[in-house]
Amino acid sequence: SLAKKVKEQKMANLVEEYFEAHSSSKVLTSDRTLQKFQKRRLNQQTLHDLLKSAPLAYAAEIRDLNQQHESLFSKWMLQLHLGFNIVLYGLGSKRDLLEKFRTSLLQDSVHLVINGYFPSITVRSILNSITEEVLDHIGTFRSPLDQVEFITKRFKEDSSLELYVLIHNLDSQMLRGERSQQILAQLSSLPSIYLIASIDHINAPLMWDQAKLSLYNWLWYETTTFNPYVEETSYENSLLVQQSGSLALSSLVHVLHSLTLNARGIFRLLAQHQLEKKDNPSYPGLSFQDFYQQCREAFLVNSDLTLRAQLTEFRDHKLIRTKRGADGVEYLLIPVDDSTLTNFLEKEDEDV
Amino acid sequence: QQIQEDMNKQLLDSLVSFLSRSHSDFREKTTEWTCEMKFREIPTAALVLGVNVTDHALTFRGLSDVLQDNITPYVALLEAKDCPGIKNLMQKLMGQLMSCDVDVDSLEDEDGVQVSQNRIRCSMASLISWYESVTKKTDSETPSKKRNSSSRHWQSPPVVVIFKDMESFTTKVLQDFIVISSQHIHELPLVLIFGIATSPMIIHRLLPHSVSSLLCIELFQSLSCKEHLSTIIDKLLLTSQFPFKLGGKVLQVLINIFLYHDFSVQNFVKGFQLCIVEHFYSQPLSVLCCHLADIKKRAYSLSHDQCENIRRLPSFRRYVEKQESGKQIELLTNDSFLKEETEKLLEDIHVYHENYVSILRCLHVFTSSLPKYPLGKQIRELHCACLENRVWETEEYESCLQLARMLNKTDLVTMLQQCVEILMSSSGKKFDKTVGKLKGFLTQFQDLEAEASQERDVSISSQKELQRKTDLYHLQKTLLELKESRRSKKLTKFEMLRFEVVDYIDRLVRKYLVPADDRTLHEIVYFNAAAVLRGHLNAAPRTALHTALNNPHWYLRNQALKCDGGGISNKAPDICIVYKLHLECGRLINLVDWLEAFSTVVMAAEEPNADAASSDHVDDIIHARFIRAVSELELLGFIKPSKQKTDHVARLTWGGC
Repeated sequence: SLAKKVKEQKMANLVEEYFEAHSSSKVLTSDRTLQKFQKRRLNQQTLHDLLKSAPLAYAAEIRDLNQQHESLFSKWMLQLHLGFNIVLYGLGSKRDLLEKFRTSLLQDSVHLVINGYFPSITVRSILNSITEEVLDHIGTFRSPLDQVEFITKRFKEDSSLELYVLIHNLDSQMLRGERSQQILAQLSSLPSIYLIASIDHINAPLMWDQAKLSLYNWLWYETTTFNPYVEETSYENSLLVQQSGSLALSSLVHVLHSLTLNARGIFRLLAQHQLEKKDNPSYPGLSFQDFYQQCREAFLVNSDLTLRAQLTEFRDHKLIRTKRGADGVEYLLIPVDDSTLTNFLEKEDEDV
Repeated sequence: QQIQEDMNKQLLDSLVSFLSRSHSDFREKTTEWTCEMKFREIPTAALVLGVNVTDHALTFRGLSDVLQDNITPYVALLEAKDCPGIKNLMQKLMGQLMSCDVDVDSLEDEDGVQVSQNRIRCSMASLISWYESVTKKTDSETPSKKRNSSSRHWQSPPVVVIFKDMESFTTKVLQDFIVISSQHIHELPLVLIFGIATSPMIIHRLLPHSVSSLLCIELFQSLSCKEHLSTIIDKLLLTSQFPFKLGGKVLQVLINIFLYHDFSVQNFVKGFQLCIVEHFYSQPLSVLCCHLADIKKRAYSLSHDQCENIRRLPSFRRYVEKQESGKQIELLTNDSFLKEETEKLLEDIHVYHENYVSILRCLHVFTSSLPKYPLGKQIRELHCACLENRVWETEEYESCLQLARMLNKTDLVTMLQQCVEILMSSSGKKFDKTVGKLKGFLTQFQDLEAEASQERDVSISSQKELQRKTDLYHLQKTLLELKESRRSKKLTKFEMLRFEVVDYIDRLVRKYLVPADDRTLHEIVYFNAAAVLRGHLNAAPRTALHTALNNPHWYLRNQALKCDGGGISNKAPDICIVYKLHLECGRLINLVDWLEAFSTVVMAAEEPNADAASSDHVDDIIHARFIRAVSELELLGFIKPSKQKTDHVARLTWGGC
């Protein structure tokens, strides 16, 4: 009962820790930002190069670990053939392991590799590749459900068809949806489709309810590899890497340099206004009317129409965003974080 | 592996046959009811099936087969995942009914086939607006059905629609379907069957009054899954039919998964299957795990290596140690002698097991009727207790004996009779029962019965006498006699008690021994790797991540990683250091501070060989490593980018895990 008591205490602690973590909305962290701290941001390519030059620690031990996992390959094959599907979990990328499994055992058989971490993968494309390449069926389906039905029928009719499906990161953003998991589960329940998948997210098992679990018929294997997630994280847009999607300082400067003086002035005006109000979290942006007024006063535009044309151009370059407020007035905002904006203004000042 | 597949098949077959049998009466009832229904409202059967959704597929398949066989209806099975909208539902329903038609009519003219194909294409084409198409479909379907059925049966057979998982249907679809079909109930006799996992309340929650008033619901209850489990254990584990057996721990794991996680019989069977696979894969001597008839052949075809394997078994070594020295040498060196010995031992195990099962059942009869069930109510609990350690040494068994001694009344006799029956049946079935003792017990029991009945006769007659003769002297006399006889009866009760004790001690001590302890070569037949099983069936990915991040030493056997007292060495892999630092933060983490802390730790580790000249480059590398580690943590789901503050990330876990 002592152990029980200890366990209970631990549970109580856990609960308390949770509430402690979420009790106050006040955040006690320093206000330092990367902008001030850093000389330059790394981009994807330099990051990759740098990491390549850095040696991987404990390579020998990791290799041992992987060899240990590799000894299980023949067992996996047996279990796959007996109707189980295999799921790998544990720290570290399991990509190389699966790849090795593929090259060493699946060379002669039909197999399909799905890179779940690839951000534009969809269930539809998986199904298409099965129907088009494995089953040689040309034609489209109205819905994935029909497609699954077709696949099921074909596999049931033709017992000689066998397909190994390897899914890297079954829990990735694109595949974790309920419907896609349902479809994959249905596929995996077919006796002649053998599924072997890997998961990484700590909450990955939450994707599956009982019905799906029984369709999947998982056998869990812990394969902690400690391999770095090279491919998997290359798509993960990290905060610390320059993101291509959002606006960066360099592109801002680049675009504005190609504009007329007046247009630059207009943007400046808006930027300054936004920086003045940066401490106000509910600042909706500058309303069009006010902005027009200010631009007129600065002799930057002479009519409503010119300003609108200019703003349209900005919008095309994704330099500003318009938002309609509750009162129906159009508000203008620059979708760039404040520090970038400050830097930009400083730079402008230098130039002028 | 061949054997193993055979076994697998055998096992599954027996399971399926059992399941279908257990459902048959339930199914019969439903079938009868469907036949009887008259249609003014939509007749509806609600089957309450319990939360183990995964097992229901078999039930429904069986149900639809039975319904189809008994000439009744055309059956369509609908699943919620196929019917997100009413259109899909109608299409699915149509498709299934049409194919049902084709199935049933397969011998009839091709006309029906053509019609059905036409209809399907037509339904494909007519996707103009869903309500119209639905009405059209239903309308057009109705006469065809009528025609179809009237030509074949004098009475139009009802069309049964089974909703497999009532709970997961969207309410609107369900309601619409019911309303629509209630409009056509006169032309198209529909019968609905709902499979309900929770409770019948759900019907009223899903359907408003206006809709549920269109239904005429009757409730059917299925067997609880616990009963299924006990029958399965009875059929699979407590027979001598299968040579393969489960160890106590493994059985415990399987039962725990069943009782505490999912109530799914299918999963239990899957676990059992996995045990078989594991056993035959990992244990080189599992070739010998076969029926009694095959043992001899296989034992003789053993190779030298396999003989060595036998010698290496711990239970065999114990056995050798007990033998005298001459035999020891023979056993350890002479292969053919070893083979003979092995054969004998394996036969012993078989015999042992047969005895075990019947005696276990007897004991169960005794213990299951005791108050408070010290040894458990179900036979599986008793089985586990017996497998794990010596039963007669446990406290529970002690208290069982005490209770049994006190419980000594006439119901004990009935219990004994039950036992006798069990033993009778088992000894009748198994001819190779080597112990003749059972027969001895049987006669003893029969004596007991005879005695008891005699006594009863005596007492009854004396009571009759008592009633007849009313004069005082006789009365006194008979009463005295009665008293005496009662005293003597007490003695016989005592006798029974002694009986029992003798029984218990005798049988238990001789036969009930723990397999792992006392049986030589039990490794061949029993599967005992509970940890492996638990790892594969009931894995904890989060724990694995936690240990890997907290003590990488567990996985990477390197001296440098070892460290004491909860801390982490600064030579650990990057991700472990980053993780450890992140544990010290609250809900939000400042990336800059995090990076600095990380670089401090890493620099300290690299101090000796760091040169100041290329510090900029080193900085960059550390930065890159940090980025990699952070994005790995993000991938693993420990943190996510936060918009609350610039350059902060939010933690998604709390506390130390």
